[in-house]
Amino acid sequence: MKAILAIWVMFIWVMLPLLAQQPAAPPAPTLPAAPATTTSAPATTPAATPAAAQATPAPTAPAAAATTPAKPTAPAAAAATSDTASPVPSTEPALSGWVDLGYRWGSGVGGSLDTYRSIINLGSGPKFLGTDFTLADPKHRWFDTIQVRADTWGDEPSSSVHVEAKKSGVYDFNADYRDFAYFNFLPSYADPLLGQGIVLDEQSFDTRRKIAALSLDIRPGHWWSPYFGWDHDSSSGTGASVFVSDSNDYPVPNTLSDSTDLYRGGVRFEKSHFHVTLEEGGTSFKSDQSLYQNPGSANYGNFSSPIFGQTLDLTSLLANYGIGGSSAYSKVLLTANPTSWLDIYGQFLYSQPNSNVNYQQTDAGNLYLQSQILFYSSEQQLSSAAAEQPHTTGSLGAEIRPFKRVRIVESWLTDRLHDAGSAATTQALLLAGASVPLSSLIDSTLVSNYSQEAVDVFFEASQKLTLRGSYRYVWGDALYAFLPPQGLASSAQEQLRQNIGIGSATYHPTQKISLTGEVEGASSSGVYFRTSLYDYQKVRAQVHYQPLQSLSVSADFTLLNNQNPLAGTNYDYSSHQESLSFYWSPGGGKIFDIQGSYSRADLLSNIGFLDPGTLSPQVSRYLDNSHTATALVDLTWPHSKRFTPKLAAGGSFFISSGSMPTSYYQPEAKLWLPLSGHMTWFTEWRYYGYGEAFNLYEGFRTHLVTTGVRFTR
Amino acid sequence: MACHEDIYNGIAKSPHDVVETDAKRGFEGRVCEACHGPGQKHAESGDPTLIRNPANLNAAAVDKICLTCHLNQPTQVGRLESSHARNQVACTACHKVHESQPLVVRKAEATNKLCASCHLNEWAQFQRPFHHRVPEGDMNCVDCHNPHGSIRPAMQQSFAANEPGCFKCHGDKRGPFTFEHAPVRFEGCQACHEPHGSANPRMLIRADVRFVCLECHANLPSAPVKVAGVVPPAFHDLRSPVFQNCTVCHQKIHGSYVDRNLLK
Repeated sequence: MKAILAIWVMFIWVMLPLLAQQPAAPPAPTLPAAPATTTSAPATTPAATPAAAQATPAPTAPAAAATTPAKPTAPAAAAATSDTASPVPSTEPALSGWVDLGYRWGSGVGGSLDTYRSIINLGSGPKFLGTDFTLADPKHRWFDTIQVRADTWGDEPSSSVHVEAKKSGVYDFNADYRDFAYFNFLPSYADPLLGQGIVLDEQSFDTRRKIAALSLDIRPGHWWSPYFGWDHDSSSGTGASVFVSDSNDYPVPNTLSDSTDLYRGGVRFEKSHFHVTLEEGGTSFKSDQSLYQNPGSANYGNFSSPIFGQTLDLTSLLANYGIGGSSAYSKVLLTANPTSWLDIYGQFLYSQPNSNVNYQQTDAGNLYLQSQILFYSSEQQLSSAAAEQPHTTGSLGAEIRPFKRVRIVESWLTDRLHDAGSAATTQALLLAGASVPLSSLIDSTLVSNYSQEAVDVFFEASQKLTLRGSYRYVWGDALYAFLPPQGLASSAQEQLRQNIGIGSATYHPTQKISLTGEVEGASSSGVYFRTSLYDYQKVRAQVHYQPLQSLSVSADFTLLNNQNPLAGTNYDYSSHQESLSFYWSPGGGKIFDIQGSYSRADLLSNIGFLDPGTLSPQVSRYLDNSHTATALVDLTWPHSKRFTPKLAAGGSFFISSGSMPTSYYQPEAKLWLPLSGHMTWFTEWRYYGYGEAFNLYEGFRTHLVTTGVRFTR
Repeated sequence: MACHEDIYNGIAKSPHDVVETDAKRGFEGRVCEACHGPGQKHAESGDPTLIRNPANLNAAAVDKICLTCHLNQPTQVGRLESSHARNQVACTACHKVHESQPLVVRKAEATNKLCASCHLNEWAQFQRPFHHRVPEGDMNCVDCHNPHGSIRPAMQQSFAANEPGCFKCHGDKRGPFTFEHAPVRFEGCQACHEPHGSANPRMLIRADVRFVCLECHANLPSAPVKVAGVVPPAFHDLRSPVFQNCTVCHQKIHGSYVDRNLLK
C-alpha cells in the first residue's frame, strides 16, 4: 500500500504543474509516433453510441472465452465493437459503458472436488461479472478519458480490474490489478502413501496470487517522454510440503508468503532518425515460508520400515525461511536510421539481483543420521546464505537494404550470467545427554556465457513472393561448481555449439490467399543437456484462404524432430501438430455465424537412462496423441427488430491417448435477451467433464448455470 | 473522403487523426496520403489503380510505410529478433489502421482471439486441462510474449531488464538461489513445463515426474560431448512410491537457498 500511495503522490506531484499550464493545443511531436488520444475531434465526428456497446454480447463468466475459437478474419473487429470508443464529442454523455451483475449456481461436483478446484474452481453465489465503461470529459480538463474494465469479482478463481486515464500530450496512466486463486491438490501427482490408503498430495497448495501494475507516461507523443512504473506480485496461503530428514521425509503443513516489487523510471527520446530509451529500476523481494508440526502427535513419514528395530517419527517441527532480496537494473534501447538503406537496433541490459536467507529449523522425534549410524531425539539448524547474480545482455543489429528487392538483417546477441552463492550451516543433534555439532560452508557457482550471430537475407522475388534464407551460429559455455567438492557431481562444464539454417517463403497471390512455410535445420557439436535440441528439423506452415466474403479457412502445421545420437544419450523425439479452422458468416452474420477448429497432435519421445536403484538400462518413453476441437454457433433471432435475442452454443473437447490418457469436455450455451434499450438479461450453461484413464478417482463433472443482467448506458 | 466516409470517420477517431490535424507532420488535411501516397489522380478518376493500396503490397512494403513514422520507438527495438518480422507478418495484420480506437486491441479476450487467428496450434494447446488462464480471458498472450520481438526466445517478455518474463508473476521462482538448478537458467521454464497447456499436472512435459528428471539425470555420460546433470543424486529404488516423484523430497526444484541437493 505504501508503494501505491507513493506512486499516486508522485503522479499528482508531477501532473499538477503540467496541468496548471493547460496548453490549448499541446506542442506537436515531430512524428505521429505515440498513440495519443486526440483532443481535437471534429464536432461532426459521429459518436460512438452506447448502442454499440449494448449490441455486444456479454461475457457472462470468467471462462466465457474458454472454448471460443478464433474468428480468423475479423478478430480485431470483434474487439473494436466491445471496446467503448473514445473520445466523444461534447454533446455525448460523459459516461458510457456497461456493467454485468449475476448469480451462478453449481450442480455440485461429481467425482473429485479437489481436481475440480485445481482446474476450474468456479463457485456458486452472487457475482459482479464485469464492467467496461468510459468516462469522457468534454472539456478535457484533468483527463480526456478514463476507461475502466473489470472482470468477475466475488470469490472467483480470478478477478481483475484495469484503469486507463489519459490526457493527450500530457499523461497516459494505466493501472492493472489481478487476483488469482491458485489451488492445486492432485493425489496422483505426489502421494507416496496412496498404497496405504492415505490420499494426500504432499506438494499441494491453496494460495492467492495478487499482481498489480501501475505505469505513468508523461508527455506521451512528445520527443522526450519520462515514464514511471511499479509492478507488484505477491502470494500467500497454505499448503502441504515435506520436511526432509536424513533417513525419512515427513509431509507437514506449511504457510507460504512472498512478494516482489519492481520500481522503474526512465525517459524516452524519439527523433526522426533515432530513438533512445534509458531506464533504471530495481526490485525488492521477501519470502517467509514456514513448515511446522505442532508438538503432541507423531508423524511417521513416508518410510514406515523400522531401522535397526526402531520406528522413525517426527513429533514437532518449526522451520522458517526468512528470505530477502533486491536488485538493480539498467536498460538502454536504441534504434536509428542514419540513411535510407540502413536501420540500426541495439540493446544493453544489466541486472544484478541478490538474495540473503536466514533459515531456522527445530525438530524433534526419533530421527536417524545414516552417515554416522546415529539416532537422535532433536535437532537445531541455522543456515545463513547469500547469492548474487550479475547478468549482462547486449544485442546489436542492422537491416541493410542494398538493392530494391534485397534486405539483409545482421544481428548479434550476447548474454552473460554469473550466479555466486554461499551457504553456512550449523547443526546440533541432541542425543540423550549429548550434543553432536555439525557445520558446513559451501560455495556454489553457476556461469553461463551465450552468444549468437545471425544473418537473414530476404529476397522479394515478386510483389507476391518473398523468400528468406538465414544462418545462425550459437555458441556458449556453462560452468556449475561447488566448493568444497562433495559427492559425485561437484562440477560440470559444458559447451554449446550449434549451426542453424532456415529457409522460408511467403506467398500472397491474392488478398484472399496467403501461404507461409518455414524449414529449419540444425547440427550441434555441443549442448548443455541430454534433452536439449541437438540435430533437429523444424517445419512450420500456415495457410489462410478466404474463398467467399463470408467464409475463411486457416490451417497451421508444425513439426519438430530432434535426435541426439551420441553414445549414452540416444535421444529420439518427434512431434507434429495440424490444425484447421473456419469461420462462416453468411450475410454478414445477421442471422447466424459459425466457427470451428480441429487440431491433432502427436508426440513421441524415447531416451535411455540407467535405473538409479538397479543400474539396469531403461527407456523413458513418452507418447501423447491428442484431438482437440472447438466450435461456436451464434444465432440472432431473425424476426425481431428492436430487441434482438441472441443465442450462442458450442464448446470444446480434448481427448488424448498415450502416457496420460485424458478427456476434457467443456460444452456451453448462452442466451442474451434484451429487455429494454439499457438492460439485457443473459444466462449461460456450462458443463465441465474431466477424466484420466490411469487415475479414475481424479475425474470430475459438473454443471454451472449463470444468469444476470447487463445494464448499459 | 467523400467516397470512403466510413474510413475517414474511423481515422478521425483514431490516434492517426493527429496526422490530419497537425501541420508539422506534413499531411495536414490529407491524412490518407500519409500511407497511400499522392491521391489526387485517384480522387479525380476513382480509378483504384491510381493510388497505392497497402493491401496489395507485401509485408515488407507495408511495414516500410508504417515504419516511416514508427521505426524510432521503443516498441521496435526487438524487431530484428521478431519472428513476425522474419515471417512477413505486416503491422496491419494486428493493427487496424482504418478503424476507430483502439488501433490495437487491449482486452485480453480480444487480444487472444487476434493471436489465435494465426496460431491455431497454440490455441489448441490451451484447451488442455492444465494451462495458463488464457482461454478464460484472465491472461492474454501479450502477458508472456512481445509481438514486436524481444531478445528472449519465442519473443518472450522480459522482467527487470533481462530476466525471463515468467518472473513477473512467479517471483518466488526468481532467486537468485544459492544453489541453482542449472536448466532453469540455461534453458528456461520450458525445459520442464509446457507453458501453453498440457494434459500433465503442473503443465509438465511428462506424465510422471520421475521421467522429467531421469531423462537428464540418467547416469549415462554421453560421449564424446559432455552434458550436464547425468549423474543421479543417489541410488534410489524407483519401485518405491516415495521415489516416483522426485520433487516430493527435492521440493526446491527451481533452486534452493540453503541446500545443495534442493531438499529444503
